[in-house]
Amino acid sequence: MNRRALLQAGAALTGSAALAGCMGLFETRPIGIPPIPEDRPDAIYIPSHVEGMKMSGMATQGDYAFGLMYSYAHRFWNVNGDSVSLTEIADEDDVHLMASVWDPETMTVLPDTGLSAEIYQGDSLVTQEAIYPMLSQPMGFHYGSNFGLNGDGEYTVKLSVGAMSTRRSGAFQGRFSEPTTVEIPFEYSQQAKEEIMFKRMEDKTATPGAVDPMEMEMMPDSLAPSESDLPGTVIGSGMSNDAKFVVTVLETPPAGIDDDGQYVAVSARSRYNRMILPAMGLEGTLSKGSETVYEGEFTRTLDPNLNYHYGAVVDGVESGDELSLRVTVQPQTARHEGYETSFGGLMGGMDDVTITVE
Amino acid sequence: MDLVDGNLPRRQVLKAAVAVGGASALSACLDLGDSEPVPTGDPNAKPSRQHAWREYIRHDEHGNSQLPKHQILLYINFDGNGQPSTDTRSTLERALTVLDRAYEWSHEGLLHSIAYSPSYFERFDQPFPENVELPQPRALSPFESPRFDTQDAVVHLASDRADVVLEAEQALRGEQDQANGVSVDARLTDVATIESRRTGFVGAGLPAEHQDAAGIPDSRPVPEASPLFMGFEAGFRGNQATEDYVTIQDGPFAGATTKVIANLRQRLEDWYDEQSSEDRVMEMFSPGHAENDLVEGVGSNLGSNSGIDQFVDDIEADARDHGRVGHAQKAARANRDADGNVKLLRRHFESTDDIGSDQKVASLHFPSLQRRIVDFEDVRRAMNGTDLTEVTPAIRQRVNNGILEYIFVRRRGNFLVPPRRYRAVPKPRPESYS
Repeated sequence: MNRRALLQAGAALTGSAALAGCMGLFETRPIGIPPIPEDRPDAIYIPSHVEGMKMSGMATQGDYAFGLMYSYAHRFWNVNGDSVSLTEIADEDDVHLMASVWDPETMTVLPDTGLSAEIYQGDSLVTQEAIYPMLSQPMGFHYGSNFGLNGDGEYTVKLSVGAMSTRRSGAFQGRFSEPTTVEIPFEYSQQAKEEIMFKRMEDKTATPGAVDPMEMEMMPDSLAPSESDLPGTVIGSGMSNDAKFVVTVLETPPAGIDDDGQYVAVSARSRYNRMILPAMGLEGTLSKGSETVYEGEFTRTLDPNLNYHYGAVVDGVESGDELSLRVTVQPQTARHEGYETSFGGLMGGMDDVTITVE
Repeated sequence: MDLVDGNLPRRQVLKAAVAVGGASALSACLDLGDSEPVPTGDPNAKPSRQHAWREYIRHDEHGNSQLPKHQILLYINFDGNGQPSTDTRSTLERALTVLDRAYEWSHEGLLHSIAYSPSYFERFDQPFPENVELPQPRALSPFESPRFDTQDAVVHLASDRADVVLEAEQALRGEQDQANGVSVDARLTDVATIESRRTGFVGAGLPAEHQDAAGIPDSRPVPEASPLFMGFEAGFRGNQATEDYVTIQDGPFAGATTKVIANLRQRLEDWYDEQSSEDRVMEMFSPGHAENDLVEGVGSNLGSNSGIDQFVDDIEADARDHGRVGHAQKAARANRDADGNVKLLRRHFESTDDIGSDQKVASLHFPSLQRRIVDFEDVRRAMNGTDLTEVTPAIRQRVNNGILEYIFVRRRGNFLVPPRRYRAVPKPRPESYS
């Protein structure tokens, strides 16, 4: 599909009703945003409220497709190493701007790139910043930040993606290796923004579970493959602070990973809704009785079949072997409400996951 | 800005005048400027290197160079295609000699140079001597796509006196009959067109006074004592190459150096509002600097050396333990030769230029001198820290990775600064003129 057609498709989505279908009732946005739930669990939980979003436009350039969306300014939590810190909505913030980046050929979301955004009004630069990868239950994985604007009007957003440094395998070898910039028109009016769905979750707030992701037509979701869709033989799975690790073994490593042996791939996804959990430090030990078969890093890797995963080449995996996985760095993505305590998060602690090979 | 608004602090008017330029700016400056006469110069008393600054500028009590406060960069194209004529050469030489006569070679007078781009040298069907390399500028990080400055040459004017850089520019443009009492008998603009004019300032007080620019939060966080917008001193003597070191030693271009000039936009909202001063020390210098409380305030206590060399080997451990690495720590990895000598001589200065528009943004002109352009490229690549993003996901392409989150490279140009004797439209084999 060409860019114009994509843009038209995007424009057709801007009615909030199109997004609200999966969200049930909605109401106009009240003045106050509910407070952060006091009794939130150390787990994925239903946030105090959910908000819809509007599509601004899409563009494709080189190896990358981009979608630009916006919503109300959000509070979110930044993650830097072990530290998780709340970013409150600032007075001058008008919108939460979101971008999604994916491979237009395979529709695979690229969750581990650097992205920066410049917002122009005519030739005048309104703002520019590196924007962070984020996880949100309704919005899925995206790159986002709150921005202040100069009121209603026509803006242009330049999105610049950096070359990926994540290891790529299979047909992704050599791809996503150049920086690219696209321009997407962004029409903003406060009134149109106020029409975006806003829903309080009332009694469900802070209970374990997650709201469903909103689907955006024309844009891929950021879901990990279901277990049955993963290539290789799934040897087991385990949960660590609501991050689910599904482990599959391939007879040989994907093309581009040159070591000899079997390939153990750990596909990390959120409990309840299978969102990719990227940018994590992961180590593991594979043991056969008292013998250690492999000990070391599971490397962040993007593969067209396995999607984003953590992989290691081992001599061989056999029934009865034990694989122990240790998270050394929690997923380095900012979190929207409902995700800030899980996968490490505010209270830290991602337990080791031990799998006995079936 | 109304330059004659009596309520503006003097310093602010002087900087604003340099940014605006022209006759009215110069006269505003002269009204406010030093009443001290500007020392005149002797063309025969100039150093043989155009980049000789160190002996002729102020130093602080630690011996660190204090760069001239006001600076102008004029990017020019020579009229016509092909090889410049001997008339062009003699006119340009005379125009530059006017400046030599008009001003002492010092921060109180004027330091000036002209440097030539690879595109300029393509006018000649002649290779460089073997020991000179001048590649075209290129993108040096996996996340930048700057515009390249490929004009023929760049004229650099620097002085502590705003009125001097303005007057020198007016002389080059032929808009003044006299410069500091010296008759202007030849003009740069007789042989070239000024394609881009850029200005800036450096030194304690100036950035604080000019922080009303896009990219700096409204809280006015830039300390009065800081010579730069980011709030720290830079260019400590022990962390800079010497002028001798960056000078090409042999061959026809002996006495030359290469100059990379980048322009960066700074976006310091998160730098100041999201980060503590400890975070800033960690990201500017190294986590070790923060842990050991090595930096007080703007860093004057560091003396003549930031002490970065002792933290270079820790960088992977710092990435793992702190989830951050320092800018100076990364760059230093590639900025030392086998004997431990520093390779680059950085002379960056601040600006509110948003090249191509009139708005004021926090920006930085970054001239760096080095013997070979590739030395600069190596340091810039080390500063990308791409290897460290593989050590831990906490270090991202631009986040927690030194100061990359706050700086956006918008322009880059490569130039050769010939020795004074060949400063006027040199050939790639400059001896062929004589």
